[in-house]
Order: sequence, then C-alpha cells, then structure tokens
Amino acid sequence: MASSRISMPTVRNLVAVASGKGGVGKSTVTVNLAVALSKRGFKVGLLDADIYGPSIPLMMGLSDRPGSTDTHVTPLERNGIKVMSIGFLIPDDQPVVWRGPMVHGALTQFLTQVEWGELDYLLIDMPPGTGDAQLTISQNAPLAGAIVVTTPQAVSISDARKGLMMFQSVKVPILGIVENMSGTVFGTGGGAKFAEQFGVPFLGSVPLDSQVVQSGDSGRPMVELNPSSPVSVAMNQIADAVDGQLAGAVGAEFRSLTLDWQ
Amino acid sequence: MEATPTAIKQLGPATMGIVWSDGHNSFYRVRNVRLNCHCANCVDEWSREKILDDSKVPEDIKPRRIEPVGRYAFRIVWSDGHDTGFYTFDSLRKLCECPACRKAR
Repeated sequence: MASSRISMPTVRNLVAVASGKGGVGKSTVTVNLAVALSKRGFKVGLLDADIYGPSIPLMMGLSDRPGSTDTHVTPLERNGIKVMSIGFLIPDDQPVVWRGPMVHGALTQFLTQVEWGELDYLLIDMPPGTGDAQLTISQNAPLAGAIVVTTPQAVSISDARKGLMMFQSVKVPILGIVENMSGTVFGTGGGAKFAEQFGVPFLGSVPLDSQVVQSGDSGRPMVELNPSSPVSVAMNQIADAVDGQLAGAVGAEFRSLTLDWQ
Repeated sequence: MEATPTAIKQLGPATMGIVWSDGHNSFYRVRNVRLNCHCANCVDEWSREKILDDSKVPEDIKPRRIEPVGRYAFRIVWSDGHDTGFYTFDSLRKLCECPACRKAR
C-alpha cells in the first residue's frame, strides 16, 4: 500500500537505485547516471543513503562538510549536481553502527531537511539489501520509480529478485534492470533475461572495465572522465531510457490527469 | 495488466469520477475517499490500524487539487490541508461506489 509521509514538492522525479546485495557496483551506476542526466541539462541531486558504506563522497571527489542552518542542511555541489551523504557527517575511519529507529530518522532527515531546491531528478543510492532502511525509503518517500542493479551472475540475480519484489510489494514502479560488470569475467545476458522473466524493462548492460575503479577512486565519474568509453556510452543510453520512462510517452498518459476542484 | 485511469472528473459539488482503461466508470463521494486515506498519519504503519478519527474530518471536506504520482497513484490535497495521502489506482478501484461494485463487495 503506498503511503507517503514525506512530501517533496520541489523534486520532480525521485528515483531509487537499489540492489539485492552489495558489491554489484550500484553506487558507480548511480554516480554515472547522475552525471549523464546532468549533462542532458537536467537539475540533478544525489542522495547517498547507503548508511552502511557511503561511497559517493569518494566517487564524486567531495570531502567538505555541508553547511547548515538551524533547520536545514545545504547539500554540497559538484559540477551542478547536489550531493548529500552520511559520509559527510562522520569521520572516514570510523564504522557506523546503526539501529533501526536511527536509520529511519536519518533517512527521513535527508529527504526533508536537506535544501534540495528545484530538481528534475533526485537519485537515491539505496543501502544494499531489502531490510528496514530500504523499506523506510520505499514506503515513506514519494518515489517515481526504482532501478535495480545486478551483475550477470545467477547468485546476484537471485538477490536482485528480492529487491524487485520488495518494491513491487509497496507499489513502487520498477523503471528497469541494469546489468553491471557485464563481460567475459562474470558473463553477460543475465540481467536481460531476468527483466524479461519479470516483465520489467531492461535498461542496459554496463561492461566491466578496470578504469571504472580508477575513476571512482579519483573522484571523477567515468561519464565525465572518459565520455567515449563503452561504459560511458552504456550509461548515457541508460540515462535516456530512464528519462524516457519518466518523461516520455509512458508517463505522459497520466500527467494530464490533474484536477482542480471547483 | 490492471486497469488504469484514463480520466478524472468532478461530477458534482462533492462527487468525483474516474474513467478506467477497461471502460468502467467509477464514482466516489469525496469525503469517503478522505476517510479511506492510507497515509501514515491516518493508518498505523505497522498494525495497519486506522488512526484517523472520522468525526474530526469536516462534513464538507473537498479536494483542492488532484494530481497523478508516477504511474500508480493520485495525490489529493484536501481543503483541510491534509496532503500526505497517496491513493493508488488499485485502492481507488476497490473503493468505487457505483452500484455494481457495491453489490460485488
């Protein structure tokens, strides 16, 4: 049952990027998708909700502390993309131990007390898995849809299935599946097959490329660092597919269904 | 594929109508829609017990604005300021007050 407690009137499309388990490159996909959408002229925000292992600050080359007023936090900005992460608020070398209610509180604050301003897209890098933190976001935030990232292997796909089912159980539309690390090492085609099996769109395959790791560590996402690489080409296609899902013909049929009561 | 709305209309001062992709015409008394809000302020998230006190909802409550959310729900801003409810297409279809649907329940 959809019940959104959080209202985000200045964000046009709130999109969750999720995976059934860690290590499939979800954050890398999210960061590159953010850059690709931003390059298309959209106003983009990036919320690192991976409270267990925030990696967006490193990948975006950001290490400052965000500014704050009494009631609000100002997100950091890099190349026009607004970024907020729990990683900005805790020292690098300290593990964070989270209990359920703290998770709920932190995530709600990230959505309501960060000055996101007008955005076309706010991407949420979800914590891996299908536990409390994931449900908090899925049930409380007005998500336009979710993207599920998987690697081609069967074991990863079986976890992605759980992620998919969690979103479906709370009626969040699935924008599609991204197959990451596709190629000779982990195989290829698993993501497309999975999407077909569940009747959800397949957004694309991102090839495995060692330069991705270097680009992540250097704080310059691949789409920016090497725009002509196969990874960047794939990510740009995925950005188009996502935008097509939300702004294109598929969503338009409902957008006219607005009524001002007389 | 479940039916989705193709039109939403104001039928009277307190009556709302939805036309569905399968041709069905639904109508609703708007106060009844407000009383069936599933948001976390109206229904307990865990126990699913209703928190909303029906008697506190004004008899003459009206929507101010109805707008689609993604591809699965409507958000209604009410005249009493309540605006946190998402009404999924599913739940609205089930809430239909036309004679045929009421008989089927």
